[in-house]
Amino acid sequence: MNIVVLVKQVPDTETKIKIGADGKSIETSEIKWVMNPYDEYAVEAALRLQDSVGASVTILSMGPERTVESIRTALAMGADTGVLVDDPATEGSDGLGKAKVLAAALKSLEFDLVFCGHRAVDSDENQVGIMVAELAGIPHLGLAVSAEVTDGKVKVQRPIEGAKVTMEAILPALVTFGGAHAVWNPRYASLPGIMKAKKKPLETKTLADLGLSADEVGAQAAKVSVTAMEMPQERQPGRKLEGDTVEKAKELTRLLHEEAKVI
Amino acid sequence: MQPGYFPANVLFILIFVAANAFFLFTAYKLYRILRLGKPEDRFDRTSERIKSVVTFVLGQRRVIREPAGWGHFFIFWGFVIITIGSIETFGVGIYHGFAYWKFLGKGLTNVLYLLQDLFCTAVVVALCVALYRRFVVKPERLRYEDQKATNQDACIIIGLILVLILLLFGARAAEYLLAQGEANRYFPRLAFVSVAFSRLFAGLTKEGLQAWYSICWWGHTVVILGFLIYIPFSKHLHLLGAIPNVFFRRLGSVGELSKMDLEDETAETYGISTIEEFTWKQLLDLYACTECGRCSDNCPATLTGKPLSPKLTIHHLKEHLQAKGKMLLAQQGAAEAASVNPEGELVKALIGDICQHDELWSCTTCGNCMEHCPVFIEHVDKYVDMRRYLVLMESNFSPEVQNVMRNWETNSNPWGLGFATRGDWAEGLPVKTLAEDSQVEYLYYVGCAGSFDERAKKISSALVTLLNEAGVSFGILGAEEKCCGETARRLGNEYLFQSMATELVEIINSYGVKKIITACPHGYNSLKNEYPQFGAKWEVYHHSEFLATLLRDGQLQPQQTMNKNLVFHDSCYLGRYNDLYEEPRTLLKSIRGLKLSEMERSRNKSFCCGAGGGRMWMEETLGDQKINDARTDQALKLEPDIIGVCCPFCTTMFEDGLKTCDMDEEVKVYDIAEILAETVTSEKE
Repeated sequence: MNIVVLVKQVPDTETKIKIGADGKSIETSEIKWVMNPYDEYAVEAALRLQDSVGASVTILSMGPERTVESIRTALAMGADTGVLVDDPATEGSDGLGKAKVLAAALKSLEFDLVFCGHRAVDSDENQVGIMVAELAGIPHLGLAVSAEVTDGKVKVQRPIEGAKVTMEAILPALVTFGGAHAVWNPRYASLPGIMKAKKKPLETKTLADLGLSADEVGAQAAKVSVTAMEMPQERQPGRKLEGDTVEKAKELTRLLHEEAKVI
Repeated sequence: MQPGYFPANVLFILIFVAANAFFLFTAYKLYRILRLGKPEDRFDRTSERIKSVVTFVLGQRRVIREPAGWGHFFIFWGFVIITIGSIETFGVGIYHGFAYWKFLGKGLTNVLYLLQDLFCTAVVVALCVALYRRFVVKPERLRYEDQKATNQDACIIIGLILVLILLLFGARAAEYLLAQGEANRYFPRLAFVSVAFSRLFAGLTKEGLQAWYSICWWGHTVVILGFLIYIPFSKHLHLLGAIPNVFFRRLGSVGELSKMDLEDETAETYGISTIEEFTWKQLLDLYACTECGRCSDNCPATLTGKPLSPKLTIHHLKEHLQAKGKMLLAQQGAAEAASVNPEGELVKALIGDICQHDELWSCTTCGNCMEHCPVFIEHVDKYVDMRRYLVLMESNFSPEVQNVMRNWETNSNPWGLGFATRGDWAEGLPVKTLAEDSQVEYLYYVGCAGSFDERAKKISSALVTLLNEAGVSFGILGAEEKCCGETARRLGNEYLFQSMATELVEIINSYGVKKIITACPHGYNSLKNEYPQFGAKWEVYHHSEFLATLLRDGQLQPQQTMNKNLVFHDSCYLGRYNDLYEEPRTLLKSIRGLKLSEMERSRNKSFCCGAGGGRMWMEETLGDQKINDARTDQALKLEPDIIGVCCPFCTTMFEDGLKTCDMDEEVKVYDIAEILAETVTSEKE
């Protein structure tokens, strides 16, 4: 069985975000780039299938050269090969453009399953995975917290309010993953894993290799664009009330009434 | 069978040779087992090593730290003196006319016999005390899982020594009486105990005396030779292991971890997962163990009921080594391999069967076990070596540890806070970064806690105040600073540590830094003692020693009086790891009105706060009390106003401990820099 995991490199969630001079992008000079956490759950899900039923796992990503680091991380965890679409023409592409690139790259790969995070934690658009499924003409199962493969079908569980639904789809299929770190506990690469990852095959492709042109998927083709970014308002620091319990209660009531005007 | 006459002498020689051959054969086997271990260079600094043996073996320096050790002192020296006497005894066995007085003269022989009598008596007393201790007092540290076997072993040893001494006195007493009025015989009269024993034989004929002499002589000799044979099979193996173990002890910094070769492409495994992967010195440690239990007596994990007892770890490793070692040697020998029982020792997993996971992860690396081991067993690196295997090969550790490792990887700090905000604590403070001015004399290496932890940031700013007050030329790295990786290393992640260390060395060296000050004992120990493995050549000062120097030189002068009772807590990595006990105390004593109180477990006996060895980042769910709560209780016994510390981790652990017992309003935790800053500056304001 072949599984392709789509991986995006995103700024670490603790990064101090600064808005760039153009007012619609972020400054990237002081950013620590990491694998999108939801994609990491997808890698973990694929590796669990690799362990249980046997599978060859390919990591597919697009982005500049630094993206190699995230692919190597997934290879160190246990994935077998990597493919990176690195083309400056993809800069500024929207979700659909990215999906087109990934779908085109998928064509050259053999796969029974495509895994990815349900969203990337940078721009939180929740689109690319679903669009790739559509473009590849395969079914999509969303927000999975588990994945099993039996008899040519993939079965996943998805939490809904207070319960879980189990869904299945015929292969080939695309699954987007949800959950949280505590649900998946993605494996920590062992040292031999890290050593081996350095020697695992990692192919770099351009748009031309995929038979695509910049005006199909690049900034010009983007139907959605960011027009402005602004930082959230700084929160006022909390206030500590002094005195004994009765005094504190009185003061709190006064503040809620006079300042917050909620009572 | 009169000793020394034919055929008794032939019989004696046969027994003597057989016993020694058997002993040498067993010892050689033990040596071969030791050689199964990996190489390690401990052959440097010979004169220092000899000095160690003089101090710690002949002088028994560490043994006599505790009252019970005096018993050992006398038994040890009694043993040495008896052995000198045994040479004469054996000489007599070969030829009846052999006697020391004929070579040494009567005077010297008298002195020697007197010494022998005195020490033999002392040994008898010490053995009685030992029996009393083992069977009446029953101290916790003498407890073993298989108490019956341990007690049996002890009784055999104590019994053998008692019997051989009493028989020696018997033989001597008879000898004394036989020598009376004989021109060619002589007995040194200064041996007054032997002389006193002769009353037992009063009124016996010469033949009777001769018979008693033969009985006692043979008994004494056979017991000594029996003892020789028994040694390697009992805990008295330490007679063979301890002296070389003291000789080959680690002379440099305590608990310095070995630098793993991660570049070696042929390496198939990292860390230690089988007993024979330890170095020969780590295995020698096992032979040297006397099972005295002082390690566990001082271990914070043992004392709070965790599934870790350094004493038992060593005991289990020793049993496993001997059992598995024999099988491995047999396998090496020939095609016997197939006959080795596959269910036996060979298939036991070092981690899982012999040492438990919880055991390895319970260690705080505080070094109290090593500090109190009379024979210098190095426990801590064994735990770390096994952690290394679990981390590097199996990625087998708790989720919270995984989380903290990821945080180090992405943001070079355990909290995972944005690396670019590392220097933010210093905003608005009068402190420059090296990027702004690299001509400063000292780099203040702040460390992760001092940079990111709200509480520890106050310590950093107090130190900045003091350094400015004293006019020290210093700077920080700010956002360029990185974690020193100390904790990652102690958690077994040598790969992460080495990548962090390489990076930090590069940054610091890029500014041509020569001298470093830090307020974190962990960073201090790491930069000072372990970074030289990565090419660092810096003078590193902990703020306690640096501030003590500034006070001594008058660059800082406490103005304010502080009428408070302060209990001082020694950090493991400052005290035991770096021998800095006086400096923080000197500093505190310079403050008028401050009463310095000492806990029972203080200085080299200081009880870890519970944060070392990566425990800071792990849940503490095992045992009957949290280590920090136990230590807080110890401090509160002295009814302090302040708990004085000099480590950001200790600060957190005590503050948590005080919150647990709801004493955080009454008692405050301060770093020595905060206390000094308060007294130095507030008058001016």
